[in-house]
Amino acid sequence: MRFLRQTWAIAAKDLRSEIRGKEAVNASVSFALVILLLFSFAFDLEPEQIRDIAGGLLWLVFTFAGTLILNRSFARELVNDCLDALLASPVSGAQLFFGKCVANYVLIIVVECISLPVFAIFYNVRLPQRLALLFLVMLLGTWGITVIGTLFSAMTVNLRLRELMLPTLVYPMLIPALVGAIELSRVLINGGSLAENMIWFRILVAFNVIFTILSLALVEIVLVG
Amino acid sequence: MSPQNYTFMFFGFTVAWLIVIGYVISIALREKNLRKELDRVKRMVEEGEQTRR
Amino acid sequence: MRLKIIVTLTAVAGLILAWNLYRIFLQVPDEANQGAIFRIIYFHVPAAITSFTGFYIAMFSAIGYLVTKDLRFDSIAASVNEVSLALASITLCTGSIWGRIIWGIWWTWDPRLTSFFVCWLIYVGYFMLRRAIDDPTARARLSAVLSIFACVDIVLVWKSIEWFRTQHPGPVLEIRGGGGMAPGMEAPLWWNFLALLMLATALILIRTRQETMKLEIDALRRHAHAF
Repeated sequence: MRFLRQTWAIAAKDLRSEIRGKEAVNASVSFALVILLLFSFAFDLEPEQIRDIAGGLLWLVFTFAGTLILNRSFARELVNDCLDALLASPVSGAQLFFGKCVANYVLIIVVECISLPVFAIFYNVRLPQRLALLFLVMLLGTWGITVIGTLFSAMTVNLRLRELMLPTLVYPMLIPALVGAIELSRVLINGGSLAENMIWFRILVAFNVIFTILSLALVEIVLVG
Repeated sequence: MSPQNYTFMFFGFTVAWLIVIGYVISIALREKNLRKELDRVKRMVEEGEQTRR
Repeated sequence: MRLKIIVTLTAVAGLILAWNLYRIFLQVPDEANQGAIFRIIYFHVPAAITSFTGFYIAMFSAIGYLVTKDLRFDSIAASVNEVSLALASITLCTGSIWGRIIWGIWWTWDPRLTSFFVCWLIYVGYFMLRRAIDDPTARARLSAVLSIFACVDIVLVWKSIEWFRTQHPGPVLEIRGGGGMAPGMEAPLWWNFLALLMLATALILIRTRQETMKLEIDALRRHAHAF
């Protein structure tokens, strides 16, 4: 119980500071819109073809925009030695990490909820009737991105080339989750049934469970040593 | 046997060996640089100790 | 003593490779469907297996560092990963050339090739991380965690092949089930595997010594600047 309370304290701190400043979400949403614009130049496709690649496009937008938020996650604590203060506090490394995960997760979901309708409008993609299922896939996929991204944000926080290193390290690691999310999204947008594609669902869930546990176990080593 | 097949096989083997040789050369170069650096630092330590005496 | 081991390993590996090359090129008959190009398998498959094994050995060495805090484990992990990365590069290149002949394309995004490429990318990132950190202890700690994550992730990436139709030739060796190779053709593969393993071990020993030398230089430099 105490674990959750302290985790929530960290998450609330990050969310409150973001609500007041709105820097990360604004930058992230703008970036998502720019990517959607660039993709419109890169691809000039018929509606049926767009629906085939919609899943992939969507998750590329989500991942790139999400990286902006993840980068700031631990980097924002470097100013005024806040990170040292947090590490010295009674909050354990796992609680600090999990709190930041929750905060990042909420922020990325917000960005996704804004990007999804914009994507549907720009590319004339009719969103599936069962929007709830698509939302479920978004929730699962985003957790995978958040967990890995937050851990690697902690790992690269003290490096010179932090902004460069985070994407380079994170994107290859995210591939199982991304592939699962992309396949499920593609199936749903094309009106297919989730039941026939349960394998991707399982990969997504397995990825989330395994890496959440692994991250919670190893984050103390990454942060403190 | 089609000559094209042999050409590609030759390419394949060549690439593999080039990578191996390239890697071994890079290791050898690193060895040379490390030895030079080690000697330099050892000299630095000795000079430091001499000036202290 | 160490130098003797390295030289012996390299010499024996070299002999096996030379003898095997003779067998591969002159004694083994051309394969029915693929023709001459299939001989690439004698380097492609051993390189793939060796590099994969290397990554996992490095992970155990990294765990060894996290448990004992002895930097020698970190040196071993880094060296093994580096040699494995070189072998992985060989695997990708030879696989691509093999594919060009067999399937007519230099590359295809089928799961086996893709997951190997992902593995390669992750370890390139591993070495970028190592270069970006100056402090040896922090470098050892963080690259150990990355190594563990990478090895767990690779399993997940690899698992997706079993649920995907693949363009890669089906399993050819006995241990994987599926069509086997004719008995005369299989032996050179295992000999090559042994030779590559020995070559890799020799290279790893050299690299580990270099890593230890680097640590020594760092310590001496700190000693020199302390005055």
